[in-house]
Amino acid sequence: MAEVALDRESGGGPLRAMGGVIATPELATLRTAGSQAPGFGIRGWIRVLLADIRRDWQLYVLLAPMIIWFAVFLYTPMYGLQIAFKQYSLFRGIDGSPWVGFSNFVTLFNNEYFLRAIKNTLLISFYSLVFAFPMPVILALMFNEIQHNGFRKIAQTITYLPHFISVVIIAGLVINFLSPSSGIVNVLLAKMGFEKIYFLTIPDYFRPIFIGSNIWKEAGFESIIYLAAIAGINPALYESARIDGASRWQMMRYITIPSILPTVVIMLIIRIGNMIEVGFEYIVLLYQPATFETADVIATFIYRAGLQNNQYSIGAAAGLFNAVVAFILVYGANRLSRRVSQTSLW
Amino acid sequence: MSSVHVRDLKKSYGHAPVLHGISLDIEDGEFVILVGPSGCGKSTLLRMIAGLEGVTAGEIRIGSRVVNNVPPKERDIAMVFQNYALYPHMTVAENMAFSLVLKRASKAEITQKVQQAAAILGLETMLDRHPKELSGGQRQRVAMGRAIVRDPKVFLFDEPLSNLDAKLRVQMRSEIKALHQRLKTTTIYVTHDQIEAMTMADRIVVMRGGVMEQMGTPLDLYDQPANLFVASFIGSPAMNQIPGSIGAKGFVADTGHVLPLPTSAVAQIGRSAVYGIRPEHMTLEPSGMPVRVKTVEPTGSETLLLTELSGPQTSIDITAVFRGRVAAAPGDTIHLQPDMAMVHLFDKETGHRIMA
Repeated sequence: MAEVALDRESGGGPLRAMGGVIATPELATLRTAGSQAPGFGIRGWIRVLLADIRRDWQLYVLLAPMIIWFAVFLYTPMYGLQIAFKQYSLFRGIDGSPWVGFSNFVTLFNNEYFLRAIKNTLLISFYSLVFAFPMPVILALMFNEIQHNGFRKIAQTITYLPHFISVVIIAGLVINFLSPSSGIVNVLLAKMGFEKIYFLTIPDYFRPIFIGSNIWKEAGFESIIYLAAIAGINPALYESARIDGASRWQMMRYITIPSILPTVVIMLIIRIGNMIEVGFEYIVLLYQPATFETADVIATFIYRAGLQNNQYSIGAAAGLFNAVVAFILVYGANRLSRRVSQTSLW
Repeated sequence: MSSVHVRDLKKSYGHAPVLHGISLDIEDGEFVILVGPSGCGKSTLLRMIAGLEGVTAGEIRIGSRVVNNVPPKERDIAMVFQNYALYPHMTVAENMAFSLVLKRASKAEITQKVQQAAAILGLETMLDRHPKELSGGQRQRVAMGRAIVRDPKVFLFDEPLSNLDAKLRVQMRSEIKALHQRLKTTTIYVTHDQIEAMTMADRIVVMRGGVMEQMGTPLDLYDQPANLFVASFIGSPAMNQIPGSIGAKGFVADTGHVLPLPTSAVAQIGRSAVYGIRPEHMTLEPSGMPVRVKTVEPTGSETLLLTELSGPQTSIDITAVFRGRVAAAPGDTIHLQPDMAMVHLFDKETGHRIMA
C-alpha cells in the first residue's frame, strides 16, 4: 500500500504506536494524497488502524496486556455503575433490578454523613495542600544547600525510606507511637507531668496526625521531582550570580525558586486535580467511629455504605459522584496547566 | 580599570595538575586573549581570576590587591559566559540590573545605568523582553550589558561567541572590540578560535596542556612563533611543516628536495629540523619544489591548493594559498617557491624555534 511506504519514509515511529492516529499534518497530507487514501470518518480510521496493526503487530502484542487489563478490570465493571440508578438487589442481579432514576442520589444528598464526608474530604485535601504540598519543595531546597555530598546522600536516603514502607506498617507505627499505654509520645508526656492523651480517639487530632504522618512518609520521596528540576538549572546561572554578588540565600531566592516554579505550578495543579482523592487505605487503618466526625471521607463512606452495610446502590451513587467530581477537577486542572505552563497531560 | 598580575599560578584537581605555573602581566586597559585547544587550561585560568575556582599555588593580583582568597563579588570583575547565563525568568532590564539590585543601588541609579548600557549595545527596545524571546546575538549583547552596568575593573569573557553562527560571530567580534575601545576596561578573553584571537587582541597568550607556550602581540605570534605548536596554532590555514635537516645548499627535506634557506641558518649545518612555511608565503615559480595537486579550493578571493611533495620514501602534504585564481587541477604538478624571508626553522626534537 502506498500509505505504508509513505509512512516508513516519514520515519513515523511514534505514529505507529498511536494506533494509526494521524499525528502530523504532513503525514495526513501524504496519506490522503496516496492512491489508496483511506477516506474520512470512522471507517477510514479503522482502515488505517488495521493497516497499522498488520504492519506493526509486534507492538500491538506488547500493548495487549495493558489493554486487556483495562478492559477487564476497569471498563467491564463500569457496566455495574448502572446500579447507582437502580434499586439493586443481589438476587435479581444488575439487569433484573428496577430503575429508580436519581432517587439514590437524593437519598445520598439528604444523608448528613455523606455531606460530612464531602466536607472532610475537602478539608483534609485543603490542609494537605497548605501544609504537605510545600514540604517537598522546602526539603529539595534544603538538600540542594547541603555542601557535603556524603551527608546529603544520607539525609536524602533517610527521608526517602518511609515512602517504601507499606501503609499498613506506617499506620501500625503511628498507632504504636500514639498509644496511650506504651506509645513514646504518651510516655514522654507522662514523664513531663502531663496527662496521657488517646490521640486517635479525639477528632481534633485526626487531621494533624493524618497529614503529619503523610508528610513524614512522602515528603522526601516527592522532593525528588523538585531536586530533578533544580539539577536542570544551568550551573552558570549560579556562577554568574556569585560574580554579581549574590549570597547563597539570594541565589535560592532569585535563581533556584524561580527556576523550579513551573514544576511547582504543575505539581500544584495536579494536586488540585486530585483533591477529591484522599488516601483511603490509610484513613481506614487510622480512623475509628470516635473520629468519624473529622476522619470520614467520601472513599471511606462508600466503603462502609457499599460493602459493610450492603447498600450497594447508595455506594455506587456515591462512587459515581466522586468519579464525576474527580474527572471535572482533573480535566479542569489539565486545562489550567496547559494555560499556565503550556504543559498538559492530554 | 586595573591591571592583572598572575604569578606561578598552579591548579590541580585532586592529583591531576591542570595549570603548571602560569605567570603573566596584563596592563591596565589591555585586551588579552587566552587561546589554545580544548583542555589547555585557559578557561580554568580565567575562572581562577574570576574567583570561581580556588588557587592551588601562586598568586593573582587585581591592581595591587592579592585576590587569591577574595570571593568573586568582591573582586570587582564582570564575566560573560559561553552560554550567556542570563536569568531566564528575568527581563532584559532585570538581568542587567541584577547586580545593582543586590548592591542595593538606588532605583534612579539602576535605571540610569541600565539605560546607558542598553544604549551602548542597542538594546533599548528589548528591555522588557525575556531571554527566550531574543536571538543568540541579542542574548550575547544582554550578557555584555550585564557586565557593563557593573562598571568593573576587569571584564572576563569565556568563549562568548562560540554559540553563535559564523556571520554573527564576525559581527559580534567587531562589536566587542569597539566596546573595548570605547570603555577601555581591562579585558581577558578566552577562545579556542585563533582568528578571534588574532583580530581582537592587543596581546595573545597561547596555552597548551596547562603551560603558557607564548605571549605576544598577534603579529609577533604570527611572525615569530616560539615553537611548532604556536606556529601551527596561529594562522589559518596552518603553517606547513617539512621535516628534514639543514644542509650546506639549503634545507634538505626528508623527501630529498632542497629548499631555500636564509644564510643565517648555515651555521646550523647538519642539525635535524622542521622547515616551516605558511601557505600564503609561497609563489609559483619553475625553480620551486615540484608538488602534485590533490585538491583545489577556490573561495573567490583566493585559491587554496592542497598538494603533496613526494620523495622516494615519504611524502608530505603542503598547503598553499594564492590571491586570485590559479589554473591548476587535481593531478597537475606545480612548482612552489617558499619566500626565503618568511621561512621558520624549528628544532626537530624540542619543537623550539632555532632561527630568528
